Amino acid sequence: MSLVRTEAASPSNPGPPSDSASVRERLRNAETVLWHRGTFVAAVLPFLGLAFAITVVAIKGWPAILVNGTHFFTGSTWQPGSTYGSTVYPHGVATPQGASYGAWPLILGTVQSSAIALILAVPISIGAAIALTERLPRSIARPANFAVELLAGIPSVLFGLWGILTLGPLLARDVYPHIASIMPDVPVLNFFNSPTGHGEGLFTSGIVLAIMIVPIITATTVELFRQVPSLNQEGARALGMTDAEVTHSVTIPWVRNGIIGASILGLARALGETIAIAMISGAILGHTAQNIYSPMTTIAATIVSQLDSSFTDATGFATATLAEAALVLAVISVVVNVIARFIVHRTGKLGGPVGRG
Amino acid sequence: MAVAPTSTALNEPADSVLCAKNLTVGFGEATILNDITVNIGRGHATALIGPTGSGKSTFLRALNRMNDRVSGYRRNGEVTLEGESIFTSGMDLLDLRRKVGMLFQRPNPFPMSIRDNVVAGVKAHRMAKRHQFNDIAEARLTQVGLFDAVKDRLNKSPFQLSGGQQQLLCLARALAVEPDVLLLDEPTSSLDPVTTERVESLIANLVPSISVVIVTHNLGQAQRVSDQTMMFFDGELAEFNTTKELFTNPQHPLSSQYVRGHIG
Repeated sequence: MSLVRTEAASPSNPGPPSDSASVRERLRNAETVLWHRGTFVAAVLPFLGLAFAITVVAIKGWPAILVNGTHFFTGSTWQPGSTYGSTVYPHGVATPQGASYGAWPLILGTVQSSAIALILAVPISIGAAIALTERLPRSIARPANFAVELLAGIPSVLFGLWGILTLGPLLARDVYPHIASIMPDVPVLNFFNSPTGHGEGLFTSGIVLAIMIVPIITATTVELFRQVPSLNQEGARALGMTDAEVTHSVTIPWVRNGIIGASILGLARALGETIAIAMISGAILGHTAQNIYSPMTTIAATIVSQLDSSFTDATGFATATLAEAALVLAVISVVVNVIARFIVHRTGKLGGPVGRG
Repeated sequence: MAVAPTSTALNEPADSVLCAKNLTVGFGEATILNDITVNIGRGHATALIGPTGSGKSTFLRALNRMNDRVSGYRRNGEVTLEGESIFTSGMDLLDLRRKVGMLFQRPNPFPMSIRDNVVAGVKAHRMAKRHQFNDIAEARLTQVGLFDAVKDRLNKSPFQLSGGQQQLLCLARALAVEPDVLLLDEPTSSLDPVTTERVESLIANLVPSISVVIVTHNLGQAQRVSDQTMMFFDGELAEFNTTKELFTNPQHPLSSQYVRGHIG
């Protein structure tokens, strides 16, 4: 590069005429400026998007934040108040008389259903990724991998419909009673030892969420496993390790951070999943789940199922409350991501070298 | 090209740790090794030399069955370890690899602490109790001269170490399972001259308690560390001789050209 420039500048080789050279130079400068500004905008846009979304729900939800106070996080009532009664003005905000909103069951339901989904989905996804990359012959692994990627793109309403029509009743009839009958009556486990209901509830929601996020986590984990250098896996094999030991002590630790990241991606989808949960959760307001089979609801499902009726509240307080709920959901998602990053930072130090080796 | 081997019968089967008999290895259509018969002496350091693509690495990897997983792998003939076929169902593959260890071209530490790296094989083969791991790690790291450099960071990642230190760590890891044979696949090709010298003197010290088989492109290294040398050409064993004889008085025209730098 520098050699060419020196030659062009030397008197014996004057190079192309200077006016066309300066045009070229100007074009290149313009291109550079465009490139810098373009990448800057692209870099800033995601942050602007996040800030915009959070600001909007914060502004819309502000009246509800003032009135609901801490009761929103601890209370379990969900009373829109009387549309025909008089309007009252706590903290100067117009609210229907008797309105009282406590989102604790929603928050707990969101966390519980997503936790069940994650507990079920992560081991299944890692197992599937191991099977796809290491165990299955290529002739089966390729179409299976394609199917997994397709599954990740299926609209959630299909899962909801399937859950309520087929899976829920099936689980309630053939699976839940057996689980309930073998669970002893001790703390934690007695959460499983109770009337099993009709299949609409927390456990079914968690299972359907798990089915929805398994393809996401699996597809990402497959890509991660493919990046593990075969030299290091061969080293373990040459030391006399079994396939399982190689996977356990080299392959998985090598990409541990990536698997945590993939799981968080799945968890984020589970936390925000709306329509499928609205269909299969039993959509019960005002109660936390009494056992793992109980009907429940989540923040996202409540927002979509209550939005229509919230418009009948002429003071707008019901809508503001839903905006507050949305803000809480956004905060939960951000907190989960921060915790995940913290875990990655804490445990990642023995993981595979990034950008080395 | 027909190689027309002129191999010398250096070792009696009784004095050999590994014996190949009419060993032919191919991947798919291509035949990589053709009809190799050789006895690798117990307690010797044997160098495998030859041009790129001559089959020496494939031969090395046949000795601990690392070729098994390569797609299209096919084999004919026999390899025996202390008289016992390594291919029969009676030979446990994991046990074979404990007895026949391997060090690779580039360092390949595991994503675990330096200490856990050293005892990874010991753990897998349940050769010691958990409370002995510390002592084993220290002894093996001392053996390869790495202990003083890493004693303050045994719980830290090995990926912060230099390439040479990582390779020494892998050597410590291979020695920790107390192998009878150590296979080295160009172990110093990614290392600086100082570390290379260190690895070479370590290898020299392993013999005769451990039999060493080393693939190398570095003819000086072959002369420094080995006492017997196999010259491969085009998938065949052109000559098997003492290192001294092969480099000073080669019997085969191809080895004569190769050691004088005319081919390869």
